[in-house]
Formats: sequence, structure tokens, C-alpha cells
Amino acid sequence: MPQVKIIAKNFMDMVASLPAIKLDLLYRNQFICEAILRSLPPLAKKYVLQMLYIDIPITSKPLQEWLLADGSSKHKVAIDRLIQLRVFEVIDRKKETTYKLNSTFQTNLRKHMISGGILPREPMPQSVTARLPTSEELDAYAHEQWECFLLQLISSGQAEKSTSFSSSMMRIFQRGLLRQRDKEAPRLTESGFQFLLMDTNAQLWYIIREYISNSEEQGVDQADLIAFLLELSFHTPGEAYSLDTLTDDQTTMIKDLADLGLVKLQKGRKESWFIPTKLATNLSVSLTDSSSRKQGFVVVETNFRMYAYSSSKLHCEILRLFARVEYQLPNLIVGAITKESLYNAFENGITAEQIVTFLQQNAHPRVAAKIPSVPENVTDQIRLWETDLNRVEMTPAHFYDEFPSRDVFEAASDFARMHNGLLWEDAKKMRMVVKAEIHMLMREHLRGQNK
Amino acid sequence: MASAPSKLYADDVSLVVVLLDTNPFFWSSSSLSFSQFLSHVLAFLNAILTLNQLNQVVVIATGYNSCDYVFDSSSDLNRSFENGRMPVMCSSLLQKLEEFLIKDEQLSKEEPEGKVKSSLFSGSLSMALCYIQRVFRSGALHPHPRILCLQGSPDGPEQYVAIMNAIFSAQRSSVPIDSCYLGSQNSAFLQQASYITGGVHHKPQNLDGLFQYLMTIFATDLHSRSFIHLPKPVGVDFRASCFCHKNTIDMGYICSVCLSIFCKHHKKCSTCGSVFGQAQSEAASASDKKRKTPET
Repeated sequence: MPQVKIIAKNFMDMVASLPAIKLDLLYRNQFICEAILRSLPPLAKKYVLQMLYIDIPITSKPLQEWLLADGSSKHKVAIDRLIQLRVFEVIDRKKETTYKLNSTFQTNLRKHMISGGILPREPMPQSVTARLPTSEELDAYAHEQWECFLLQLISSGQAEKSTSFSSSMMRIFQRGLLRQRDKEAPRLTESGFQFLLMDTNAQLWYIIREYISNSEEQGVDQADLIAFLLELSFHTPGEAYSLDTLTDDQTTMIKDLADLGLVKLQKGRKESWFIPTKLATNLSVSLTDSSSRKQGFVVVETNFRMYAYSSSKLHCEILRLFARVEYQLPNLIVGAITKESLYNAFENGITAEQIVTFLQQNAHPRVAAKIPSVPENVTDQIRLWETDLNRVEMTPAHFYDEFPSRDVFEAASDFARMHNGLLWEDAKKMRMVVKAEIHMLMREHLRGQNK
Repeated sequence: MASAPSKLYADDVSLVVVLLDTNPFFWSSSSLSFSQFLSHVLAFLNAILTLNQLNQVVVIATGYNSCDYVFDSSSDLNRSFENGRMPVMCSSLLQKLEEFLIKDEQLSKEEPEGKVKSSLFSGSLSMALCYIQRVFRSGALHPHPRILCLQGSPDGPEQYVAIMNAIFSAQRSSVPIDSCYLGSQNSAFLQQASYITGGVHHKPQNLDGLFQYLMTIFATDLHSRSFIHLPKPVGVDFRASCFCHKNTIDMGYICSVCLSIFCKHHKKCSTCGSVFGQAQSEAASASDKKRKTPET
């Protein structure tokens, strides 16, 4: 799903697009260096570690000698990423490119490795914070907030309470995802469907990216917000941190983050504090492309029936996209994957690959251990039904008829074959179909023949 | 003996079980002091935990008489401290290490002179494999485990059987055993372990730069190992030790039923109990040996 990858990775691209001075300022914070390190592909992480204590620039040859033959494409990806994020500095000396680690990054990462980092805020003492929620309560709260937000996002009318985001903010979030024609209810676009089928962390990053790009227009510094978010992922979930330790911009952001379910705001007698949830601390895990590691809930059987052990409305909406939901029990959604429901999904722009990947990634642990987690006849049939809609392949072409003689016809068909453009010919009736790209060449050739 | 087939790893989340050699007989005569060694190792452990939020580290101390777990990054106490991780990790690890060393010394008994002062490597290897088995059984979402041995003590031939059994079970469960030998000679056990399980064996030439060796070679996660050049085995010492006296031997007798190795002729195999046939007469065997040597 190349398109989905672009959306999910865009947060790091946004970080990379910050001007050099701001990026250097960001690298003064040890935790941001750690977050950036974690977001790199594995090969890039290795290069950073190896270069950590090397002060002189290294030419690209030794770097390439560290690799085996089939690693060259990964090498290129890693080096590009490192240069994009300004972690590697390129020094062109006498036509040889040499690399050196960004010195701010290097110093701070070294300090972080040897002595570890301390956050600018400490958890508040137990005496002030009366009853902290347990981790289950916190997880349930985070989950609920996020789902409520998503349901409102796709304006399905199923959300129980509305979030405190202003309608203009919601419209900005919905910009790429919904499309509204006059007098019609807003419909999800193709990217909207893809968005719903992504996993939670990827969706979170998309929303946060939109939020941060929007905040630039309101005069808040992008780099500050990014720094705060990356720092947030290193806080301890379940511990209370006082709101007094935040700057004004950060306080505004915290209120919005509470709506997304990343933190929980609580008030005591005199003080108020925020508690990060697991959603916030898992943010830095999802910065790379690694396989998603969460519990699934869908069981697909070989008779095309589907059982989803979930009570969430959001899951029900997602399953309704491509399956026919038959019953909804308190903890179970029963449905079937049918030809009509799939045709519906294909018309809305969802591809078979996305559906199959969604089913595989969200497979219930009981079936996830089996290989394959989704029965092959189901996945094959989904793909076949998709190709059903693509049965006809269209190539723009021209039809030639009424040749004066057989020689001209054969010369023309050889000419077309030479240029790889002959699609069909009928030798008896002297007709042929030629690709549109070489139509002009054919005309020249035939005119030349006539003379 | 072919080395282990390579496995495909989807991501770079790793569980590294570090076997730390704390044999006082070795460290008292080593050029690198134990405290310097520990500072290299602690920075390396922090680097592993920095690489990925889901990485885990377990440290098992290999003592002279006993072995014990000294640090586990996934235990509840250690897990909640992402912030300020290094000080907490250092203090808890060092404290447990000190308690372990005191206990280990108390277990010392009078030893006969001339005995090789080796550490209890077989014990810590078995403990590591048991921990890893538990991780395998914890469900589908587990980090990819590997074992890193930081050894300096010489090999104890009496541990041959136990170590080979542990190596083969590691090979079976596809757990690579990396080894870094810090002593002056070569360790046949470590070389064999890394060769058979598909891990990396290296003997650093300059112990002051141990941190850089650890970062360059041993911090490579299993996913990246298929793309990166790592030190290859130069020559592996495959010699065995006999089961009866625990001496290292080149030529010996093997039971045809269970493949146990003996240096002298026995009437009965001590492992499986099968009875051996009559020994050839001394003269005939001596002349056999004499005949064979000119040919080889």
C-alpha cells in the first residue's frame, strides 16, 4: 500500500523539512535525539551507532564495504534518510563524499548513552494527586476518546458525545478524507477509506501532522510542538505531571491532545495535572515501518463468514465497508464477505490488497498463529472479484482498413511490428489495429509507400 | 557440522541475554579492570534499549560456583523508568551484582591444585535458554532473542557435555549465540557455539575499545545481519573432551549407540549402558597404529 506509507511517514518528513537552524535546536534535547534514532530504518540506526564515537569524516567507500551485496538498496534508503534529517552531514572534499555525524546530535546522543536523560518535569507527589486512574481505566479512557473522535471525523452520526474541537479544526482534519457535494451527506473519499483501514498509530500521526501544519498558520512555532510531542512519548504512562510545568502553547496543545485520548486531564483542589496514556507513549514506536504489534479481533472462516470479537462502533463501521454485517451481539459482530459487499467497497476505491492486509493484521490471536491467518480461498476470491471489475483492458489504438494491395498491407504490418505497436491484424481482409503512440509514424510510412 | 540456517526477521525488536563473566580468578589477572569493563557493558546495554522502545535486555552473571539473574529490563520496577533510565539501570544492576558476588564467594570450597579456573558457563547458558523458551511461549508478539557471551575465563573441559547440549538446543530453537572472548588464549567452546548456532565470534585486539567493538558488531540486530558483513569464523576448534575423565582428546573411542566419547577402552558405555565387544589385543592395536601413521 504505497499510498498509506506516505501518509504515515509524513510526520518524519515534516520534521525533516524544518529549516536547519530549528532542527539543530531540536537536537539539543536528548530525548528528541533518541526519538529520531528510533524512527530510522534499522540499517541507519547501525550507521549512527558505529559513527557515534568517530570524530573524523568517513568516506562512503568504507561504509559500503560494511555491506553485503543485497543490502545496497537498503543502504541507499538509510543514507538518504540520514541526510534528510541532517543527522549525517555531507562534506564534499576533492570529489569524494564524506559523511560525519551532526555534531549537536552526536554530543547529545553520547551524553544520553552514557548518563541517560532526565525529563524537564517530575511526576507529582502522591500527596497532592488524590486518586489516579488505574492503567485499565486509563486505557479505556484513551480508547473511548480516540474512537469518539474518529466517529465524529467520519461524521457517521454514531458518536455519542462531540469533541471540543472547533468545527473549523474538524473540517481541516476532514479535508483529505471527506468530500461533500451539495445537498448530500459527506461521503468518504478513497483516501478516507484507506485512512480507516490503517492502524491506530498511523492514523494518530496523520491527525497530528494536520494539526501541526495548521498551527503554523495560527502563529505557534512548529518546532516547539514537535519537540513537545516527541518528549511526551518518553513520559511514564499513569503518572501525573503538573500543568504548571508547561508553556502557554503547550497548555493549548494539551487540551487538544486530551480530546484525542493521548492524555487525561484532572483537577485537584488547587492544582491540575495531566496523565499520559499508552497512546502517547507508544507514539515513538510507530515512527518506523515496523510490523504492527497489537491484538487482533477478526476471525475469517473458509465459508466466508466473519466473526469480529469487538464491541466498538468504529470496528463495526470499518467492517461495514467491505462486508455484510448480519448480527451485532454485545461482544461479537457477525458478518459475511459477499460479492455485493466487495463490489461496493471496490467502487469506493478500496483495493483488495488493503482488505486482505487489514484482515491479516487484525486477525484474532487464535487464528493468527495459523499459517495463513486468513484462509487462502477467501483471499484468492477477494482478489479474483477485484480483477472481475478489471476484465477489460483498454489501450488507445487506431484501426486501419482498405489497403490498396497485399504488399502495402504486409509492409505496414512489419513496420508496426518493428515498432512494437501491432495489436491485431487480419491478413485475409487486410485490416489491422495499431497502438495510438505510433499512429503518426504509420501515417508517414504509408505516405512514403504511396509515392 | 553445518551452521544454523538463516531465519527471516520482520523487524529489529530484540531481546539480548548477556552472560557476564565474573570469575575473580580471571579478572584479577586481566589487563582490563572489571570496573572499566562494566562501564563499557552498561553503556552498551543502554544503547540496545535506546534503539527500539520494545527492546529488552537480561543480564546473567556467570560466577565461579553459581550463576544468577542480575538485571531484567522488562521487570515492573525497571519498565516504568523510560525517563532517567540509565541511573536506575546502573544502580539496580550493580547492587544485584554485588550481592551475587558475595554469595558466590561464600560457596567456594577447597579446590585441588592445577584445576583450570573456569567459570560456570554451562549453567548460565542453560538459564538463558530457559528464559528464552519462556519468551517464545508467551505468545506471537515477542522480541527476537539472541545470547551474547562476554567470557574471559578458560574453558573447563568438565562442562563439555552440558555446553554442547545447550548449543544444540539453541540451534534447534534458532537462537544465535554471539561471543566476545576477552582472555588471552582461544576458547573452543565459544567458537563452536557461535559457529553452530549462526552467531558471531570475535576476540577484540584492543580491550580499551571494547565499547566500539560491542557497538559495531554485537549491537547488530538479527534483521540487519543479512545485509552486513560481520566477522567470519577463521578456524573453529572442534576438539571434544572425553566423557570419563573430561580431558580434551584428538583420537578416542565412540559408542556406536549413543555417540559418547571415551579416551580409554571401557567394557560398558556409561551413558546408555550398551556393552562393548572384546578389545583387540595390545600388540595388534599397536601394530595397527604403526601401520596407519606412515599413510597419514
